[in-house]
Amino acid sequence: MNEVRFVTREIGSLAKPGWRVKSIVGRSVEDSDVEDARVWGKRLGVANVEELVEVLRKGTGFSEEEKAKIQDYSALYGIRLLKSAGLDVVYDGEQRRSEMYDHAVRHAKGFEPRGTVRSWDNKYYTKAAVTEKPLVKTVYDLEEYEFVRSHTDRQVKIPFTGAYTIMDWSYDEYYARNGSLLGAPAQQRTEPRRRFGVDAARDVVRPNVLGLVEAGADWVQIDEPAATTRPEEVPLVVETFNATREGIDARASIHICFSDYTSLFPHIEELDNCYELQLEFSNRDSLELGTQAEDRPGYDVLPRFRESAWDGKIGLGVIDIHTDYIESPELVRDRILYASEVLGPERIEVNTDCGLRTRTWEVSLEKMKNMVEGTRLAEVALNGS
Amino acid sequence: MPKIRAYAPGIYARSEELVQATRDLDRGRATEEAVAAQQDADLRAFLYAQREAGLDYFSDGLLNWQDIFRPFDTAAEGLRTGPLTRFLNTNTFYRAPAVEMERPRLVEPLAEPFFRIGDLPRSRWVATLPSPHTLAEWAAGEIEPRAVAEGILRPQIRWLAVNGCAYVVLQETALFGKRSDLHGLFEALEALASPLPLALQLPFGDAGDVLGELLELPVDAIGVDFYATDVMALPRPFPKTLLAGVVDARNSLLEEPEELAEFAHSLIAEMEGPELHLVPNGDLQFVPEKIAREKVLRLGAAARILKDQNLEEGAVT
Repeated sequence: MNEVRFVTREIGSLAKPGWRVKSIVGRSVEDSDVEDARVWGKRLGVANVEELVEVLRKGTGFSEEEKAKIQDYSALYGIRLLKSAGLDVVYDGEQRRSEMYDHAVRHAKGFEPRGTVRSWDNKYYTKAAVTEKPLVKTVYDLEEYEFVRSHTDRQVKIPFTGAYTIMDWSYDEYYARNGSLLGAPAQQRTEPRRRFGVDAARDVVRPNVLGLVEAGADWVQIDEPAATTRPEEVPLVVETFNATREGIDARASIHICFSDYTSLFPHIEELDNCYELQLEFSNRDSLELGTQAEDRPGYDVLPRFRESAWDGKIGLGVIDIHTDYIESPELVRDRILYASEVLGPERIEVNTDCGLRTRTWEVSLEKMKNMVEGTRLAEVALNGS
Repeated sequence: MPKIRAYAPGIYARSEELVQATRDLDRGRATEEAVAAQQDADLRAFLYAQREAGLDYFSDGLLNWQDIFRPFDTAAEGLRTGPLTRFLNTNTFYRAPAVEMERPRLVEPLAEPFFRIGDLPRSRWVATLPSPHTLAEWAAGEIEPRAVAEGILRPQIRWLAVNGCAYVVLQETALFGKRSDLHGLFEALEALASPLPLALQLPFGDAGDVLGELLELPVDAIGVDFYATDVMALPRPFPKTLLAGVVDARNSLLEEPEELAEFAHSLIAEMEGPELHLVPNGDLQFVPEKIAREKVLRLGAAARILKDQNLEEGAVT
């Protein structure tokens, strides 16, 4: 039997440092922000930190060229943070992107911003409406990818907002326009959503993915946080993934989080060459140690994957991104060992539940370091040395 | 023919100014007083829009409610604010009420500023509350719907009755899919012993599977989201007041009043109940405020068309 070695990585976003946010939106960069840039730069081993510090000292009124430099440094810090944590696969913590939905629709023709709605409490997000057949003509993440590729020797995995989530999170002023949906039968209501989702896959997500793969990217991650929020539409999630993936010669995986994964079955069996499902689990798990099923309630859906004809890998979420609690390496180890027992270690890779953008860098780094250390402990337990 | 009414219950959208004020509050750049002042401004604008639309009942829009459960978490002994939880498939979240006692109890009914009775016209306003079944189902921890009704919602509804409220809409979001404890819901609604007419509204979901059973519940009206429910699923003749969710609170596409009126007119033909109420299919907070305001105006316009038609046909409106 080959020695077990688990691949570790983050899922996508990291928090953006204050100096990056303030300089880009036009607020004053304070002395404390500059000091933060200096301290983290040294800590992460970023070369030429003083160049960034010099730019930031200006405080306000940054030129476009200066903003571009700040963005570059922010991306570089993100890459280095993930590397410092010891991850096998890295990206830039989505430092250049505004927010996953906004980033996708602002680069597409056919969407118009409609305003702000509440996510919860005093947290909000901007929603857009699809107003005509959507279309992306540029490979808008090319510069971002090339920067990452040229600043790391680690494997790179690029996150893309998935077509189903773009569809589900957008208002529909185009597909639903013809023929009233008021009181309509389910099939009539579903059809506009299907057409929107498939168009978003083929003409919004795929052109960007294809361009990056042609530029050398070999692993794309399709982010679909909305995937299982409407169980009846999981077949559409599969259809949009397959439409996105058509003709793409690269590894492709899907990230899903914070929902009921039982609705994935049996539909995932229809996924075309999906390398992996990267799923959130630890948010719903116990903090106690243990490798038995009763010790790991957050992972209780795993046996369903064993029974499924879909035989891809599971990106096992072992770090809760919603709390500052630092999971111990032993807790990470036990989560991996339980999953390995259920599915076999060959089907497991290791990641955080989701992006860490709501955590500080300090907390994120500690969490990811422990994730890597716990992964190594699990390997020792499985390899017997 | 049924009497026609139109109104906009639920949590209303926050203006861009109120969004900014609350963001600033969270970042320490604004005071509670500044946020309250902007909430007042938002309330005035919402009341003005309802008057302009000619709505029959007024709503205060619950502009300072963080979610439909939150004020009760602090007002009730035995509840506290619990984990962040996804609200249906809306890409929004609420804090699940965490249960600390088997029988939580409202210490004092919610009053100002949670219900803006000083700004609402007496006997012409509608209140929105969670259904006792919904609060029990979405709570973190075990609690019976009847206990919610007796300890929390019954005293609240009595307070509403003596403070000029005319109508209560109970939001029921826990009956879709496998969740259907209708017995518990029935008992809880009975335990409310409401002095005010009650509507049970099922926002943002297909009510088709349970509509027949809902008719047996001790409420005056049933609310249906007609953007998620096939109109053919409506039991005929419909024997109760129907809250027809005809304005889509989840989409920015603006409805044509004539089309709404035509649809509502077709419902009248199927009704035996005393009243037809035109409402959004759920909280208008799911669209930006400028769109929500336009939807309120179009709801009112649709009701006017329908009332005019009814007048011509000799009905009481």
